[in-house]
Amino acid sequence: MTTPANDASAPKANELWELRLYTAGQTPKSLAALANLQRICDEHLHGRYKIEVIDLMANPRLAKDHQIVAIPTLVRKLPEPLRRVIGDLSNTERALVGLDLRRAA
Amino acid sequence: MSNMKTEDLLRESENLLTAIAAGEIDAFVIGRDDNRRVLLLANAYQRYRQLVERMHQGAVTLSNESRVLYANQRFADMLGMPLAQLYTTPLDSLVSVGDRARLATYLLLSARDSRLELGLRRRDGTTIQVVLSHATVSDGYTTLLVSDQRPLQWPDVVVEALESIRLSIEQLNRSPGLESQARDALESITEQINGLARMIDEMREVQAPPRRPAA
Repeated sequence: MTTPANDASAPKANELWELRLYTAGQTPKSLAALANLQRICDEHLHGRYKIEVIDLMANPRLAKDHQIVAIPTLVRKLPEPLRRVIGDLSNTERALVGLDLRRAA
Repeated sequence: MSNMKTEDLLRESENLLTAIAAGEIDAFVIGRDDNRRVLLLANAYQRYRQLVERMHQGAVTLSNESRVLYANQRFADMLGMPLAQLYTTPLDSLVSVGDRARLATYLLLSARDSRLELGLRRRDGTTIQVVLSHATVSDGYTTLLVSDQRPLQWPDVVVEALESIRLSIEQLNRSPGLESQARDALESITEQINGLARMIDEMREVQAPPRRPAA
């Protein structure tokens, strides 16, 4: 049993979400993560988000910024606190809970 | 406060284990500080990735909604845009307004190896003609190859670069304190540069259309 997204954990109006997705080029999971992230943002953040994609194949040193150990990983930079969701975001429920867009059951 | 951090740490560790168990990960970052590198779980993919990233054609992978999920550097160069700005951009926003309907039809109907010529809108406002060809469809994602139809510009770029190197060497040669060994090395480099320049001239002549005989 989960709480609907439009409860206390729902994003505040006019609050900009800054999301950073760490990928490894065009691995299947990286592509899936970006497609799933776009869908989640369209459904739950209604244009109040910014997605930045960091390709760690091109620059692995950038993994240091958010202590990335597995790819793909999504980092919610804003609103604080920082949140990390690991995986391709195909499990929407887990992604929403990880982003604090929905409370855990 | 420290309890919160422990709680977050536990949550993330659980998140990592769940993602691994669910097969949602295909790479790990190994190493520390500046020695980090990405370890892909499927080695065969590495060769394919290198091919796509180094080839002279543009490559772009699209979601079901035709947004850019991946593009190689060559495609970004064609558009004159930073690669990072391309992610999640709808492909039709990157083509000429007049070609958007044809693109939509192409993406809907196209089969493997089919082609479509259209105008790509560059960031500076200019348009370049390209040919899209349907490369692969896998896991619901479409990959297109993008061929630039403009005449090849690389000989001019290379000749410019060689000329710049030659001028730098001339300046070095004029410096009074240069040891003879260094001077010999510079002479050898100059010879090689001149050889390259001659090769490029010959290639240009081969590629140039045959001249019409004088009337």
